[in-house]
Amino acid sequence: MKKILALILALSLLVLAVPGLADVGEDVAAGEKLTHDELVEKALAESGTFVVYGNTSRIATAAEEFAALYNITTESNNLKDQEIYTKLRSETGSTAADMVMIQDGAQLTDAIDEGLVINFVPASVVDALDEADRQPALVHQFINKLFIYNNLGENVPAIRNVWELTDPAMKGNIIFKNPESEKVNMNFLVMLTSDTWAGKLAEAYKSWKGEDIDLGEYKNAGYKWVAEFLDNVTFGKSDTTIAEEVSQETAAGKIGLFVLSKLRSSSVLTENLTVAQYDATEKAYTVEPFAGFMYPMYTMINAKATRPYTGMLFIEYLMTQEGFQPWGKSIGAYSPNPAIQVNEGDLTIDVWKNTLVMEDAAYILENFEVEDFILQHCQN
Amino acid sequence: MNMLRVKGRVRGWFSRPANVILLIFFVTLVFLTLYPLLSLLTETVTIHTGREARAAKEAAGTVSLYHFQRLFATAENDYSWIQFYQPFLNTLTVSLSSSLIAIAFGGVVAFLVTRTNLRYKKFISAVFTFPYIMPAWTLALFWETFFKNVNIGLKTSNGIMASVFHFFMPEWFVYGAFPIALVLGLHYAPFAYILIGGILRNMDANLEEAATILKTKRARIIWRITLPIVKPAMLSTFLLVFASSMSAYSVPVFLGSPVRYYVLSTKMKSLMDSYPGQAYIIVGVMILFGVAILLLNQRVTNSRKQFTTVTGKSGQISRINLGKANRPVALLLVIILLMVAVVPLVTFAMESVIVKAGDYSPANMTLDFWIGTNLDQRLDQGDSTGILLNPKVWNALGFSLGLAVTCALVAGTSGILVGYGVAKRRGSRLADMVNSLSFFPYLMPSLAFGAIYLSMSSSFPWLRGFLLLALVGSVKYLPFASRSGVNAMLQLSGEIEEAAVITGVPWWKRMLRVIFPIQKSTFLSGYLLPLVSCMRELSLFVLLVPTSNTILTTMLMQYSEKGWAQFGNAINLLIIVVVLLINFIVNKLTGASIDKGVGG
Repeated sequence: MKKILALILALSLLVLAVPGLADVGEDVAAGEKLTHDELVEKALAESGTFVVYGNTSRIATAAEEFAALYNITTESNNLKDQEIYTKLRSETGSTAADMVMIQDGAQLTDAIDEGLVINFVPASVVDALDEADRQPALVHQFINKLFIYNNLGENVPAIRNVWELTDPAMKGNIIFKNPESEKVNMNFLVMLTSDTWAGKLAEAYKSWKGEDIDLGEYKNAGYKWVAEFLDNVTFGKSDTTIAEEVSQETAAGKIGLFVLSKLRSSSVLTENLTVAQYDATEKAYTVEPFAGFMYPMYTMINAKATRPYTGMLFIEYLMTQEGFQPWGKSIGAYSPNPAIQVNEGDLTIDVWKNTLVMEDAAYILENFEVEDFILQHCQN
Repeated sequence: MNMLRVKGRVRGWFSRPANVILLIFFVTLVFLTLYPLLSLLTETVTIHTGREARAAKEAAGTVSLYHFQRLFATAENDYSWIQFYQPFLNTLTVSLSSSLIAIAFGGVVAFLVTRTNLRYKKFISAVFTFPYIMPAWTLALFWETFFKNVNIGLKTSNGIMASVFHFFMPEWFVYGAFPIALVLGLHYAPFAYILIGGILRNMDANLEEAATILKTKRARIIWRITLPIVKPAMLSTFLLVFASSMSAYSVPVFLGSPVRYYVLSTKMKSLMDSYPGQAYIIVGVMILFGVAILLLNQRVTNSRKQFTTVTGKSGQISRINLGKANRPVALLLVIILLMVAVVPLVTFAMESVIVKAGDYSPANMTLDFWIGTNLDQRLDQGDSTGILLNPKVWNALGFSLGLAVTCALVAGTSGILVGYGVAKRRGSRLADMVNSLSFFPYLMPSLAFGAIYLSMSSSFPWLRGFLLLALVGSVKYLPFASRSGVNAMLQLSGEIEEAAVITGVPWWKRMLRVIFPIQKSTFLSGYLLPLVSCMRELSLFVLLVPTSNTILTTMLMQYSEKGWAQFGNAINLLIIVVVLLINFIVNKLTGASIDKGVGG
């Protein structure tokens, strides 16, 4: 009996003996004022394995190179957004992430408000970045999903106006990832219902049909486009599958809306694909009023990090040319840091910002109810 | 005097090993299963931060019925219909059909193998469990890649059926309710085969013999004697398959999404992102359904129509001569099994050696993804060696194996003990409760189960890594072991142990020397099923693994996400081969195997 009591006592002491969470917020505030050397010194003074979570697979390469550079034991995990948030909420102690790379600005804004993650802007890039790219969250890169079509056969869907995609003849010819399964896709569709994009879509409609748009039951042109676009779409499992499928020789007439960087995959028959915006740039026309959409990938420090300085050093590293390399060496990833040039053969970030629908977290958060309308059109 | 009597009673109660076992398991299981359930219920009435708080216009943490109102009674934009009612109906359709398919297919094959002189029995029996060993989504993926064509789904490419045989299957055959139910049915048919086959193999032949002597017709014997005897096993199968199909996630995603066919599990996953309260209500609905079937199952188990099939007397079961039908039936079965069990393996092997998708010419093939060393040239980053030369893969394999063996040992042993306790104290309230509690984890969708354990673990800093994974795995797979334990023990008639009791043999010796040897193959299957399930588990562990490279399945998922299908297919094949090897070794060493199965 005594032994059991002793065991219970020991266990409860173990539970109580969790080290109090240091105030990571204060560390981050201090870290923003440190020089590179000071940051290195602080990071190397921290012990244990440095843990990062990211919803980009290339974080593994970046983490390995970082580990080798500073001789810091590092573990990286490629997880989906939701898995990252679930883990951030539940995990504590030294096995929890110190730093995360995450997309979906709307949800991230909530996570910042909730106190789950803390923004860190390294002193090395603070002056080089636009305010919008470092506050409320540091943008590591922009990622674009573009209209990319199969260029074989006679019915090549070389679109010049997105309203062409709402034509009943296009039903079943457009492939997109289900907005329910990846929030950035949902965010894109929500953005289109904003006054700005609805206005542009109304203009584009006029230039396509030669007459003013008849909204019917829809609130604005954005709603109408979203509804009619979704009615024609078939949902693919992942951007990789969509890229592979649209590139097949048997997929003439098909067009996809997927991540440009998927063209790097060896399983995609890139020669059968044409990127609508590349064609537009080459032949000097515009895809009205957008050629796809673009969203940021952010870096954040976990508010419960046990190695916050290593996290900050890693973010500083990711914002350098070297740290960006795992993404920057192929097309489809764009650093907000002007010092990091775009990949050869790709278009500049400024071109993309002007031709794509950009994610605006604040608008999406205010208009989350639009999602119900979108869901309705994701159904049969 | 009274006090003494009470003391004596208590001592008497505790002197029975079955009582002590039941009490220990009752306390442990309340904590390990009811606590997660309670925390789940709390989530359904709590407003979470972020989007949920904004939508409900209430502060985070508020207790509210908002989620119920929103999920069940929102007409605007057809919200409730889209998010709940339609997927609910689809789930019922799919789960019911897959249960029936599993019982019919598994049951018929079990009958043919155990009760007739069917040819190629060894092959059929060994291969029949393959679909269960393979992750369910691999069969779904195979179904799609085999039957897809340019007229349906994404309408982008032709599978083998269309490109080689020029046979274009219609959409309902390839996507939607039919293939989802069929794939799940085939995946879980081994349950029926194992459970029903076990009973058929071990049943006392006296009953049938008596009927035969009385010149009863074959069909009538099957209908009036054999079927009633296997009825509990059929109901158990129904319970297992229905609950599993209901929470299956990847199969509906693969075969449903292209035609916008959604089920509750897919809705739960997408709601979990922004509206966890509603997602947890869906989990609750799934559990409710499972509990209802569990209660039904229990009524049958407790009713008088329960048969002990293993008695002290020996029984030689008679086999039906299939005559001229033997060869065609056997060949048909072999062909079906080749299609669902062997062809997918060949497909994975093929997909792991081709460079560009869809091109199966020798020029497009390479073994680099298995044993190559300079893959950097082919892939733009990341792993540069084939999986067999990659230390990360070997580490993950070691971890997965260690985890699976641990879970199997803990769950399997617990299952035998639970089975003993429940069988010995059958009908008592404690036994009923332990029986239900030990089955309860099965009714919780893996993803939700993992999420709840993750949040529980935050209160126990020592519960991390391997320990956490092993605990979750053991609890989640306890139902397999406890089912097989209970079934095996219920078959044993009391007289078997009585002789030993009379001669004063201690309890542990009776277990080791008498009970275990008789039902060895059933008990071992109680170890093997958790082991197999654990080796190929993804959703249960995805939130709990320290890194994505910790176990093989998360590694596989990561490769698929990266678009490196070759690595993914190679690892998938590796998992299946390892599991088959374990099954083979256990079979050679002990004579038991998965296909010998639960219940006998």
